[in-house]
This record gives sequence, C-alpha cells and structure tokens, in this order.
Amino acid sequence: MLELAWLVPVLPLVGFVVNLFLGRRLGRAAGWLASLLMVGSFALAALVARDLLALPGDERVHVLHLFDWVQVGTFRVGADLRVDALSLTMILVVTAVGSLIHVYSIGYMEGDPRFGRFFAYLNLFCFFMLTLVLAENLLVLYLGWEGVGLCSYLLIGFWFERASAANAAKKAFVTTRIGDTFMLVGIALVFLRLGSLDLSAILEPEIAGVQPSGVFTILALLLFAGAIGKSAQIPLHVWLPDAMEGPTPVSALIHAATMVTAGVYLVVRMHLFFEISGVALTVVLVVGLVTALYAGLSALAQDDIKRVLAYSTISQLGFMFVAAGLEAYAAAIVMLVAHAAYKALLFLSAGSVMHGTGGETDLKLMGGLRHAMPWTAGLMAIGALALSGVIGLSGYFAKDSILAIASEEGRALVYWAGVLAAVLSALYVGRLVVLAFLGEPRGERARHAHESPAIMLVPLGALALGAIGLGALALDKVTGVLPALLEPVVGELEAGTAGLPEPALILLSQVVAFGGLLLAWFVYGGGIDWLALRTRLASLHRFLNRGMYVDDLYSTLLVAPGKAGSASLAYVVDLGIVDRTVNGLGAAVQWLARTGRRVQTGLVRTYALAFLLGAVVLLAYIGSRI
Amino acid sequence: MSTPIAYFLLVSAALFTIGTVGVMVRKNALLIFMSVELQLNGVNLALVAFSRMHGNLVGQALTFFSMVVAAAEVVVGLAIIVFVFRRRRTANVDDLSVLRW
Repeated sequence: MLELAWLVPVLPLVGFVVNLFLGRRLGRAAGWLASLLMVGSFALAALVARDLLALPGDERVHVLHLFDWVQVGTFRVGADLRVDALSLTMILVVTAVGSLIHVYSIGYMEGDPRFGRFFAYLNLFCFFMLTLVLAENLLVLYLGWEGVGLCSYLLIGFWFERASAANAAKKAFVTTRIGDTFMLVGIALVFLRLGSLDLSAILEPEIAGVQPSGVFTILALLLFAGAIGKSAQIPLHVWLPDAMEGPTPVSALIHAATMVTAGVYLVVRMHLFFEISGVALTVVLVVGLVTALYAGLSALAQDDIKRVLAYSTISQLGFMFVAAGLEAYAAAIVMLVAHAAYKALLFLSAGSVMHGTGGETDLKLMGGLRHAMPWTAGLMAIGALALSGVIGLSGYFAKDSILAIASEEGRALVYWAGVLAAVLSALYVGRLVVLAFLGEPRGERARHAHESPAIMLVPLGALALGAIGLGALALDKVTGVLPALLEPVVGELEAGTAGLPEPALILLSQVVAFGGLLLAWFVYGGGIDWLALRTRLASLHRFLNRGMYVDDLYSTLLVAPGKAGSASLAYVVDLGIVDRTVNGLGAAVQWLARTGRRVQTGLVRTYALAFLLGAVVLLAYIGSRI
Repeated sequence: MSTPIAYFLLVSAALFTIGTVGVMVRKNALLIFMSVELQLNGVNLALVAFSRMHGNLVGQALTFFSMVVAAAEVVVGLAIIVFVFRRRRTANVDDLSVLRW
C-alpha cells in the first residue's frame, strides 16, 4: 500500500473537482460525496500506516517518486512524497479529523446556498494540507503551504456578503503572507547554500559541516517566520481571532486542528537546522512561551465563544513551540495530535451551540443551555476537561509531559511560565463552559435553544473519544507509542533529572487544572457578581479584550501610514501628476489641431499659390547651392 | 547658323509664366486647366531645346512621356470638371470649398 500513498491527497482533490463543477446540481449529495472521499482517504492512510509499521523502526522512510515537477539545470524538484513516522502521524490526524468535520458540516451547513462550494473548498484544503505534510521537497511543501493559506482565505470569507468576513479573510491572507515571504526566501537560501531542496538530502546530520552554524541560524529563523505566520504566533497572531468569521467547521478544521499546526510540523520536520543553530531553538522557545501567556490572558476577557477558543488555540500552539524549543519534538507532536482532537471537539460543540441558539455567539447572553442541549453540554465539558489537563485525558499527557520536560531540564522559568499558562487555560475554558451551560438563560435566543441533529452529534462523540483516549499514545513521554514511533525522525529525548520529582509534578498539574476550573466556576457560576467586577476593572478588561491593543498598534503603526501612503500615491501622484500629464498632452494635441486646421481653406487657388511659393523657395535653394 | 538656345528658353519661360499667372488668377476650373497645359508646353519646349543643344534624344523622349501623361490627366481632369459642373451648376473653383475645416 505504500506505493498507493499518493491516493491519500488525490482523493480529496477528486472531490474538489467534482464538487466545483457539479456541486450545485448534487445538492445534499455533495456533502456526502466529499465526506465519503475523506473517509476513503483516511482508510488509505490507515492501510499505509499498517504497511509502514510492518517495517523495522529505522527503515520506516518511504520516498515515493511521482514525476519531475521542475527541472532547470541543477535545480530539480520532483513531485515526491515522503512517508515516514512524522508524515504518517500528520496524515492520520488530518484525514481522521477532516472526515469527522466533513460529516458534521453536512448538518451544520444545511440549507446554505453555496453548500456544494463549501465542500469543494474543504476538500481542496485537505488536498493541500496532505501535500504539505507528505512533501519530500521543500518547494512541494511550500505549494501545500500556500494552498492551505488560499483555502483558509476562501473559507474565512465564505460568507463574503458580510463585510466583516471579507475583511477577516483579507487580513488572514495578508498577515500570513508576511511570514510566507520570509519562508520563501529561506527556501531559496536553502537551495543556494545546501544545493538541494530534498528533505532526504538536507536532513542528514553531516549537513552541519557544509556551512557555518550562523547560516543555519538564518535558514531556521526564516523558516520559523513562516511558521509564526501560519501558526498565529506573536507578532503575526492577529489574524486568527478575526478568522472566526468563517463557518465553525472551518474554524475547527483549519484554525484549530490542522492548518495552524503546520508551523509546528515545519519546525519539527526541520529540527536539525534549529539544533545546529542553537540560537533558533531559543527564539522558538521564547516566542512560544510569550504567545502562550499572552493568548491565555487575552482569552479570559473574550465574550464571543469562538474568540475564546481562537485565543486558546494560539495559546496551545505556543505550548507546542515551547516543546519544540526544548527539543522535545515528540511532545510537540503529541500535543498537536491531542489538541487536534479536543480543540476540534470544542469548536464543533461551540458550532452546535450556535446552531441550537440560532447563531448566538455572545457568552453574556447564553447560560443554562445544559437543559436544552444536554449532549452538546456533556461533550463540550469533556473537551474542556481535556484542554485544562485533568489527569487521564489526552490534554494532561500532552501538556504535562512538556512541562515535565521543562522541569527536568532545569528550565525553572519555562516551567513556571508554562504552569501559569496552564492555569489560564483551565480558567478560560472553565469560564466558557460555566457561562454557556450553567445558571439560567440570560438571552432570548438561549431560552429557545434546541439540541443539534445526530449528524452533528456523532462526530462530536467520536472526537470526544479521541480527546479522552489519545493520551494513551503517550503514556510515557519517552517510551509511549507515539514518542517511540517518532524516535527515528526526531531523535531520542534525553530525559533530564533536574527539577521537581514526578509525583510533585503530577500533583501540581492537577492543582492547576482543578484550581483553574473551580475558580472559573466560583467567579462565573454565581459566587460573585462578575459583571460588577468587570465594570470596576473596565480598563483591564478592555486591555485584554482587545488582545492587549496589538491590533490597534498595528493599525496605527502600519495600516494607517499604509493607507495614507496609498492615498497620497493615488490622489497626489496618480491623479495629480500622471493623469494631468496625460490629459495635458491630449489637450495640447487638440489645441494644435484646432489652430492648425485653419490652413485648410478649401480654396484651390490658395493651395496653388502655396505650391508655387514652395517650388520657388525650393528652386532658389537648389540654385544657391550650385 | 542655328538659332541660339536662349530664344527657345525665352519663349519657354514666357509660356510657363503666362500659364502660372493663369492658374493663379483664373476662377473657372476649365481655364485653370488650360493654363496648366500652357505650363506643360513651356516645359516641353525647354526640354526639346535642351535636347537639341546636347545633341541627343533624352529630352525629346522625356517630352513624349510628359505629353502622354498630360493627355491622360486631361481625360480624368475634364471628366471630373464635367461631373462637378453637372452637380453644382458651376465650375468656379472658389465655390468648390467644402473640403476644409
């Protein structure tokens, strides 16, 4: 089956083509077709997994050559797929979560006038995402990278009739493009400096001797800039909260489970560069840590249910980069897998809430939804418990192995900052669940809520099973199933011995998780009048709600001068100089023609006289020359 | 003892000048046309005279060309004038000034 791995991305591509041209005619069948192809893709990925795992550990790399894509001189790009433990993990996550979200979308997008188009885009996204993770060549990876960006743009702006959605799509596209440009420069430099873009050629340990380590620092940082944009890390994180304008399944698939994790995948895939550099690893660590804390704080003050989850995603991605910065790549991937399950679950549950309340997204106007939608409430609670790191659920194994590694390596500052971020995540997700489901309805739409159909609840159930059980893949951060599988790709983790003993770490993590949840329940579940508290702390609330004014800063520093510059170019340079020059030339020609045409009298004898005079002058001239 | 070339040239210049003045001052298209013929004949005479002076036939050959072309031109020109006269009931060139600004 390894030779058929190319079918994994091609099946969604088929769905895209069919739905693009026939989607309108297929009606509801468009959704079933797209979902079926994704399930087929998942089944194929599972078969590929079976065959790859049958090989001995250090031979689990299969490069599949399809055709030559580019061939110019020594620059050769093959459309090659690389099937190894890391890409296998990624395609399983993408196809599994993708299939569930496709099925969910059949219910969620019911009755949308562009139903078929939605599934076409969703399928196209899966094709590009699978291309990204399967790519053997950095340029093919970049193709997938830009492709998922395009689909993100198309799907955020899916309801483009709303100006806010169209603007959010534009913002996401432009912001990520900043990172992508750095990344493209990085890829070009990789070819110039290392002579190849094939992963199997540049990811050899001997590559360290080819160039000085400073070169690798630059390469790693340029690639990391792409990851910053795609994974919404500081300072390019501003697009993700706005991206919530898209349909909720899109937020779950693209902006939580898969596309935004591409940055983490890239860092893990290229970890050799980061390790040779050393400096780059520190940058990854710092960016991840700052982002985790920043987004956790901002999530606390959001009232829009989806924006809470968006900031939460930014924060969790920060955690993954912290893991990568600590060289705990397997832990980063474990977190990626677990996060894909529980964050998709949370998003889809939020979508179910919106579906059942007629589009309500304001937490202030919810409350008491556990009566009307018990299934959604229960499933979302599972997601929330997994996110906050309650022991036994997937989030615990993911987050706490990262924190434990930080502690064991003696990075006390990283550890305690991570603990703080963990408290924040328990707090904001507890707040979300308490405000939405407990208490009594505070809004009219919440009073008339109803449960969502089974087609939406079944995928939620499957994701909940994942959110509970995926921790089993990483019971131990070194010998667990997933870390052991990834070991040939990312190397073995050297467990340190510094820091707190393990029982203390577990105890502390549970204190953090339950402490955060209980505090949220106390504050928002009726213990105190939180609305009055908010009024008292209005400026702090506003500071956090606006994401610490980063957007406003960018508006003032970048957008406003950009607009002013464009306006001056348009109205002063273009209208004032270019247009006036062109119009002036036209007017001058017209004036010359108006004046000059007087010569044409229409009188033959005038012409004859002019002819004679001309002949005389000519003759006189010729005569004077002889 | 042959006639000096200057005499021929004087007659030729006189013919050409009369023709030119005629073209300038006449208003009737037909008379302008006749004046043009005078000019042509003035030039033809000069050519024949030069031919005789140089003792070869180049000038005379050129004159034949000029006469043939003039004949053709007269045919076309007269036809135009006749048609203009039929349409406009006049051959006065000052009245035929529609092709102007």
